Amino acid sequence: MHYYLGVDIGSVSSNFVLMDQYGIIREKVYLRTLGNPVKAIKEGFAQIKSRQGEQLDIQGVGTTGSGRHLADVLLGADVVKNEITAHAVAASALFPGVRTIIEIGGQDSKIIILKNGIVQDFAMNTVCAAGTGSFLDQQAARLSIAIEDFGDYAVRSRQGIRIAGRCGVFAESDMIHKQQMGYPAEDIIMGLCEALVRNYLNNVAKGKKIEEPIVFQGGVAANAGIKKAFEKVLNSQVQVPEPYEVMGAIGAAMLAQEEREQSQAPGNYRGDDFIMEGEFKSSSHECKGCPNLCEVVCIKRNQEILAYWGDRCKKWENSINRQDKLQVI
Amino acid sequence: MKQVGIPHGLFYYYYYPLWKTFFTDLGANVISSSTSNRLTLDQGIKLAVDETCLPIKIYFGHVQELCQQHLDYIFIPRLVSVEPKSYICPKFMGIPDMIRAAFDNLPLLIDITIDVSKSDRSLKRDIMRVGSLFTKDNSRIKQAYTHACQENRFCHLLAREGYTLAEAISLWEGQQVQNPASGDLNIGVLGHGYSLYDSYISLNLIERLRKMGCNVFLPESLDTGCIEQQAATVPKRVFWTLGRKMVGSALYMDKRPDIDGIIYLACFGCGPDSLIGEIIDNKVKNKSFMMLTIDEHSGEGGLVTRLEAFCDMLRRRRMRGEGNLPAYG
Repeated sequence: MHYYLGVDIGSVSSNFVLMDQYGIIREKVYLRTLGNPVKAIKEGFAQIKSRQGEQLDIQGVGTTGSGRHLADVLLGADVVKNEITAHAVAASALFPGVRTIIEIGGQDSKIIILKNGIVQDFAMNTVCAAGTGSFLDQQAARLSIAIEDFGDYAVRSRQGIRIAGRCGVFAESDMIHKQQMGYPAEDIIMGLCEALVRNYLNNVAKGKKIEEPIVFQGGVAANAGIKKAFEKVLNSQVQVPEPYEVMGAIGAAMLAQEEREQSQAPGNYRGDDFIMEGEFKSSSHECKGCPNLCEVVCIKRNQEILAYWGDRCKKWENSINRQDKLQVI
Repeated sequence: MKQVGIPHGLFYYYYYPLWKTFFTDLGANVISSSTSNRLTLDQGIKLAVDETCLPIKIYFGHVQELCQQHLDYIFIPRLVSVEPKSYICPKFMGIPDMIRAAFDNLPLLIDITIDVSKSDRSLKRDIMRVGSLFTKDNSRIKQAYTHACQENRFCHLLAREGYTLAEAISLWEGQQVQNPASGDLNIGVLGHGYSLYDSYISLNLIERLRKMGCNVFLPESLDTGCIEQQAATVPKRVFWTLGRKMVGSALYMDKRPDIDGIIYLACFGCGPDSLIGEIIDNKVKNKSFMMLTIDEHSGEGGLVTRLEAFCDMLRRRRMRGEGNLPAYG
C-alpha cells in the first residue's frame, strides 16, 4: 500500500490528510497553527506517523494554503497549489456535480462556481478579512464561549437580532450595544451569523449565480448557525462534507496523486527523517541591497539553509533554488 | 544649467518622453525620482491626505525624494483633460494644490494646466509661458514641443509591440529590456497605467504573470480604433480618458478568440475604478474575468494565490476540453 500526503497550512489551522492509493482518506489531523507553522507541520506529521504506527510509503506530497511554500520546503512537495484549485478538486470528488462551493476559512472567504466539475468562476474576499473565521474567534473569546460551541448557541436561538454586518468593527460595536441592552447571547450570536452571511453574499458572492448543489466547507462550516443562516437566505439546501475542515488538504493529496501518476520522475518527498529529526529555525533580516529594505526570511534545518523568501527582487530566493536543484540532481 | 525634477509617478508613464524631451531641448537638465520603493511609500503615506488612492500617496513620496535634491523647478502639471470631451480623475486636478499644502521645502512649481476638453488654445499659451522660463526664443519653444510630441508617439509605438509603458520608457532611454518569453495562456491585463506599470504598486503583477507562462496583452498594444469602437457600445459615453480605454479594451478582448482571460487591477479607494470595474464585470460575457484590488499591502500571498488560481482554472478547463484530465478535476 502506498500513500499520498495532503497538507493545508492556513492562517488559523494546519490540516493534514493521509490518502491511500485508492483515494480513501486514512487519517486526518486538524491543528491550530498558533502563529507557528513550522511547529504545526512537524506536529501534524508526527501525529499521522504515530497513529499509523507502521513505516509509511509516501509516494507524493501536495501542499496548499497560505503556508504552502513553507510546507513544501519542510516536506518536499510534488504539487504546491493554491487553495481555490485544491478546494474545488476535493469538493467535486466528494460531491460529483457540485455547482457552488462556499469556503470560509480563518482569513479568507471564497466562492467557487463549477460546471461539469471544472472551475468556471471564483471570487475571494478583497483587502478586508471581516466575516471570516478569525473574526468569529475573536467574538467567541470576547463572550467567553468556546468557538466549538458557538454554532450550538446560534441554533438554539429562535430569533436572530439584527447586527450590522458591513464591517467587523461595526459588527462588534453593534453586538456590544445589543448585549448591554440585555438581549440573550444566543440571539446575538445568531444575528452575527446572519450578518456574516449577508456580508458574504454582498461582497464575495456579489453578482455570482448560486445554484444547487451547494457545498459549504472550511473551518467555519463547523458553525451550524452559519449553515442555517445560509439555508435561510439562499432558500436552498446547503451540504457540509464530513471532513469539511480538511477539504483543502484532501484536494492537495488528490492533486499530488494526479501529478505522481502522470510523471515518470522520482517524487520530491524528502523522507520521514528529514522532517522528524531536523531542528528547523527561521530568522529574518532586512536586506540593504536597495531602498525597498525587504524583510528576508531564512529557513534553516540544523545548520543548512533551506530557503529564503520575502525579497521582491528574488535575489535571495534564487540564490538557494540553484543549490537546491543541484542537490536534487 | 537649470535643473527640473519630474516625479516618477501618475502620468509619468504616459508622458515622460514628452516632458523630458521638451525640457531637455530647452537646455534644462531633467532629473526624475527613482522607481517606487518602500521609502517612497512610507513617506507618501506620511505626507498625503488619507482619503486619496495609493498611486497619489506614492506620488507624494516621489516629490519628497526630489525635494532633497537641488532643483530649480519641479514639474507637477495640473491634468484636467488630455483629449476632447474627456477628463482625468478629479483628484489629479488638485495635485499641485495638495502638494503645496503638504510640503514646505518645495522648489518652484511648474503647475501648467493641461485641459484640452474644449480647445487646445490655452494649452498652447501655457506651453509658451513654461518655455519662457528657459528661453526667450519662441520658435525654439515651439520646436521643442513638436519634437517632444514626436518622441512620445515613438514611445507609444514601442508599447504597441507588447512592451509595458515602463519598459517602453526604458527602451526609449536606451536601456536594455528583456523580451518576455512566450507562454501558453493569453491574458489581457487592464488597469490605470500608473498602478499597473509601477511594479511596486502592482506587486509586480505583469512580471509574475509572464513567469507563470502567460502572454500579457495590454491596452496600449491594441488598436485604438477598435478600443474606441467597442467603448462606444456602452449606453452612456464614459468620459474618463483611462476608464473609456479600459472599457473599450475589455470589450475588444472579450471578442478576440485568442484571449483566454482578463484581469483588472484596481486600487482600493479609486472612484472611477469602482464604476469601471463593475461595468467591465457586467459586460464581459465570453471570457473569465477577475478583478484584483490592491492597497498598501506588501504581503504578496493573496495576490499570488488569486493569480495562480486564475491560471489553473484556465489551464484545467482547457485540459478537460482536450479530455486528458481525471474525472474529479
